[in-house]
Amino acid sequence: MSIERTHQTRRRFLSNFAFASGAIATGLGSWVIRPDWANAAEPPIKVGIATDLTGPIGYAGNADANVAKMVIKEINAGGGLLGRPLELYIEDTASNESVAVGNVRKLIQRDKVDMVLGGITSSMRNAIKDPIVVRGKTLYIYPQLYEGKECTPYLFCTGPTPAQQCDEFIPWLIKNGGKKFALPSANYVWPHLLNEYARKVIESNGGEVVFEEYYPLDQIDFSATVNRIMTNKVEVVFNTVIPPGVGPFFKQLYEAGFQKNGGRLSCVYYDENTLNINQANEIEGLASCLDYFKVLTRDDPVSAKIQSAYDKDFPGNFLFAAGSAATGTYRGLKLWEAAVKEAGKVDREAVAAALDHAKIAEGPGGPAEMVPGKRHCKMKMYTAVAKGGNYEIVGRSDGLVDPKEC
Amino acid sequence: MDAARQALSGVASGGPDTPIAECGPGDELAVRPVAARRRILPVVEVLALGLALILPLILQDYLTVFATRVVILALFALSFDLVWGYAGIMSFGQALFFGSAGYGVALLARDLDVTSILLVLPAGALIGLAFALLLGGFLLLGRHPSSVIFVSLGTLTGSYAADRLARGWYYLGGQNGIPSIPSMTLGSYEFEEGAVFYYLALGILIVVYLLCRILVRSQFGLALAGLRENERRIAFFGYKVQHLKAIVFAVGGTIAGLAGSLYAFHEGFVWPNMLGVVFSTQVVLYALFGGSGTLIGAVIGAVIIEGASFWLSDNYRDIWPIILGLLLLLVILFRPLGLISFVLGERERVGGFGRPPKRTR
Amino acid sequence: MANAFVASFEILSFGAIIVLVVLGLGIIASMMGIFNFAQGEFVLLGAYVTYLAYSKGLPVWVGMLAAPFLVGALGFVLEALIIRRFYAAPIVAMLGTYALGLIIRECVRGLIGGLYISVPEPIGGSIDFGAVHISAWRSTIIAVTGVVMAGCYLLLSRTSFGLRVRATLENPALARASGISTSAIYGAAFAFGAALAGLAGALIVPVFSLFADLGIRFLIQGFVAVMVGGVGSFIGPVAGAGVIGTLSAALPWVMAPVVADVLVFVLAIAFIKFRPQGLISGKGV
Repeated sequence: MSIERTHQTRRRFLSNFAFASGAIATGLGSWVIRPDWANAAEPPIKVGIATDLTGPIGYAGNADANVAKMVIKEINAGGGLLGRPLELYIEDTASNESVAVGNVRKLIQRDKVDMVLGGITSSMRNAIKDPIVVRGKTLYIYPQLYEGKECTPYLFCTGPTPAQQCDEFIPWLIKNGGKKFALPSANYVWPHLLNEYARKVIESNGGEVVFEEYYPLDQIDFSATVNRIMTNKVEVVFNTVIPPGVGPFFKQLYEAGFQKNGGRLSCVYYDENTLNINQANEIEGLASCLDYFKVLTRDDPVSAKIQSAYDKDFPGNFLFAAGSAATGTYRGLKLWEAAVKEAGKVDREAVAAALDHAKIAEGPGGPAEMVPGKRHCKMKMYTAVAKGGNYEIVGRSDGLVDPKEC
Repeated sequence: MDAARQALSGVASGGPDTPIAECGPGDELAVRPVAARRRILPVVEVLALGLALILPLILQDYLTVFATRVVILALFALSFDLVWGYAGIMSFGQALFFGSAGYGVALLARDLDVTSILLVLPAGALIGLAFALLLGGFLLLGRHPSSVIFVSLGTLTGSYAADRLARGWYYLGGQNGIPSIPSMTLGSYEFEEGAVFYYLALGILIVVYLLCRILVRSQFGLALAGLRENERRIAFFGYKVQHLKAIVFAVGGTIAGLAGSLYAFHEGFVWPNMLGVVFSTQVVLYALFGGSGTLIGAVIGAVIIEGASFWLSDNYRDIWPIILGLLLLLVILFRPLGLISFVLGERERVGGFGRPPKRTR
Repeated sequence: MANAFVASFEILSFGAIIVLVVLGLGIIASMMGIFNFAQGEFVLLGAYVTYLAYSKGLPVWVGMLAAPFLVGALGFVLEALIIRRFYAAPIVAMLGTYALGLIIRECVRGLIGGLYISVPEPIGGSIDFGAVHISAWRSTIIAVTGVVMAGCYLLLSRTSFGLRVRATLENPALARASGISTSAIYGAAFAFGAALAGLAGALIVPVFSLFADLGIRFLIQGFVAVMVGGVGSFIGPVAGAGVIGTLSAALPWVMAPVVADVLVFVLAIAFIKFRPQGLISGKGV
């Protein structure tokens, strides 16, 4: 038994070393991961990941890259796709759109990948979608929760849309918070479009939007806003202020006594990563609505399996969380795998046609299926509340929620 | 203008060379005997030109696209070298003109469907010119001459404010910028990225470079040289120093605008960072690295820094910004005249007008 | 009425933070004539040291106490090695300190990995005046800023060291001729400026959470504040910081935050144009 274990660990070490040396030794073709059993007979299928490994969004990008490594390894261990091994090419978009475009071109023109998955912020997606889809004529999967309205052909979205985050969440908020809403927001596209949709749902459920305001991204003093919230007796704060402003904002809100007076704080991008931005008591009772929370591993065996596999391979700071597009990356890769299997080949037309209606039975948080013709994905949504620095599920969608896009 | 020539030669011959204020301590000044002076600058220029012309033939596709981007950035760096190296204006806000032109042509393409190269490039240059006249006029002209620090901070603030405005303005796309800009057209031909765009950008760079060369070697350039050497003296000779500076600033802004419109169409999107402080400082570093006051130095600096970033980000994924910062710091500390000072003498930087005075035995 | 009180308090506390950050910048600019583009990163280092102490299990206030000394020491070393070469060329100094700041920022980013980390405040909770709650920690920041400013003023005007500093400020050549070691004074001034930034960083990290781009945010505001206030004196940058901080905090109460943002800078530049010496001209305290 122990000899076997030594052999296992030695083989594991060697295979890791092979991975690493393969990655290092390729020089200008840097971050490539090839499977052990790559042979000349069947040409490999090349998967491209373009994500933020450095820069402010690095905490999410690295998680996505890890998920990709995990999924590709799993598929290769099972014999590959269509009998061919998968090769993973990872490029850093560096949270910087100019650098990103240059590096994405490498994936398309030098490495000639068969598919690209990546981009986290909407500005990154907008920057790299042209080189990938239009000039590069390659399939592109975007895995992050976003504002919707992305209907470019050959661009598939596997993260939650405003409809998925609001349709069930806002009625819950009205029931468990109140009817008077405030929409403090960061000033960029996602909050604008999300608020547009949220307002519709709020008003159709009998709620009222007291004010909707937009702040510069690095504003850190929110005294005027907090004051407006308190004097107008707002009951639910539907927040889309993002870091770095969100930490001070929540702290100032808490200190002004918002939660003490019965107010409900809500933020639809809050996941396990962002819990650390504030002290636990400052965000007690914060409600979020995402496609996955780690606490689901308690009662969903599939989620537990995925989470534990990730935690085993990648312990550390880069968490497998829904707000960092990690779940969307997993979902996107598995859906693509299913589409390639159905299509029988890797060329863009065939895979896109198959991906159009692809389904997976097992994903983080539950199954997922693409809505035909819309290039967006139905998935289960969960409402969770922060208690003592952890999340507790308080609501689950009945089935798969419709993204209602395009 | 003869007065300027006298003033300059009064400085250049006679005693030891007047060191330029930007030199750091311990910098060697290459004082060569006049008779043995070779002109290295044209050699450097010709070499660079030759290399640039054959580049697409030896590089792979995606590297040619990268090289095009570097050429456009070199054009941008040229605009900065003109204002600093030749007029002593430390403009920390060149990206304001670059980015506004980029946004301007992006809006033209998005809202008015204008993509013809005959319209958008001049439009970009004009937008750059307009903003440069506005900002330059405000900062440089006036009753009291403005200090160098004020101008540099003023341009910095201008760039920063424009960045914030673009980030906050929904019509301009906010933080996302304006994506999916269609290709530039000439009639029905579309300029796609690749060798054709490369030669187009290179052609524009060469033309602008030559025009700048003519400008700094002209009578106007003589006045500028005098400005750099000793502002007060030139003022006493009767030149309107502030007007000279404003003119150069406007020319620099025009070139930056031209570069900005090229960049917008090449990359396919514009975003607030194009207006911001980081981009502005980057172009300052290009010129500093290569060597200010030589025109070709800015081009070389852009090529080297961009090339180094490209290579570093491939091979030292996690720490390349630190390495880049270290390299820059080392150059600033030990070679403040830029890398080109390894080959270029001090005299070739600013002077070199006409023949050197004959030595009398 | 309570509204006005809360508003004034918030504006005052934000102004105090800006003053702390800008004080160091102003001292360096007045003494040595260079604008230290790495000042924001010194703030970041102060915040980082505080976080480091906290993550090792020490109480937060220990980190806050240590931060100014550590950052000041680093400032002293950097001045001796690098900064002093720039005194002859202020423009190159800006670029050199920019490169330095880049290095520091990316190092910290490598260490904390691009996350936003929160550090609890040593004195938490709020002080209640009836229906009005004001943050206890922010009150502490205002108090500390006041003490620091008073201390600086006393140091400069009442001690012999302060006398030497003022002499160097007003007429370096004469000071040197009188036997004052100006290079030592410059070293001390830079270290002190860095220490102030470190203190600012330590104090504000519970308010703004720690992240690698913390420093950049204050940099431009800092420069503008120094120019508005007037380079060359001690009280100048303080006044400038007060004005800029107050404007930045107050304007969003009366107009859209995005417009307020840009307006502060436009007003500041226009002001400097028409009064180049700033609010408080002249050298000395």
